[in-house]
Amino acid sequence: MNGAHDMGGMDGFGPVEREVDEPIFHAEWERRAFALTVAMGFYGLWNIDKSRYARENRDPLGYLADSYYERWLYGLEVLLEENGLVSRDEIAARMAELAEGDG
Amino acid sequence: MAVLKAENVEAAMLKGGPCNVDVEVAARFAAGDAVMVRNLNPAGHTRAPRYIRGRRGEIARDYGVFIFPDSNAMGQGKAPQHLYSIRFEATEIWGADAPAREAVYLDLWDSYLESA
Repeated sequence: MNGAHDMGGMDGFGPVEREVDEPIFHAEWERRAFALTVAMGFYGLWNIDKSRYARENRDPLGYLADSYYERWLYGLEVLLEENGLVSRDEIAARMAELAEGDG
Repeated sequence: MAVLKAENVEAAMLKGGPCNVDVEVAARFAAGDAVMVRNLNPAGHTRAPRYIRGRRGEIARDYGVFIFPDSNAMGQGKAPQHLYSIRFEATEIWGADAPAREAVYLDLWDSYLESA
């Protein structure tokens, strides 16, 4: 698809800024997002190409505003719902519980 | 369904997920051939970026037979085919004001291409 992820040749993003001694993960949730994605990929319900499409198949504003692992998490949620494993409603309900301190 | 167990994570990550396919498929092109990228605009997944569609280049190398992502991503099967490294002049992609002595290499699948 001709989505925002296909950004070769686009102007306005500014120079690539290299982070000195960049950690592999900038936060613990990123490590878990990566691990969850890899572990779920092992089930064989989808393939790497499907997981890439799941990340890119969204509105441009949403895609561009997300950080790298936010995009991974978005794609994982899409695949989980498409495969009948976890629904968006279940995710929303759980987020509401956590927000109210019912962890 | 396969379950990834903690004790198998390191071995699994080292093994990786190779995308080449051990099958005989005719290559439509060879190193040195002039090709043009088709103007394909699929709604589904593709690995041909917009900036290369319709552009002419030269086959630099044939990597062999690989899974075709455009098909695999949409549940239409692996459609194994040759994957090539293709050299494009920077001026071909970005116009006459691009550096004259620069080139861009893209890895592109057989079905993206036609003879030029």
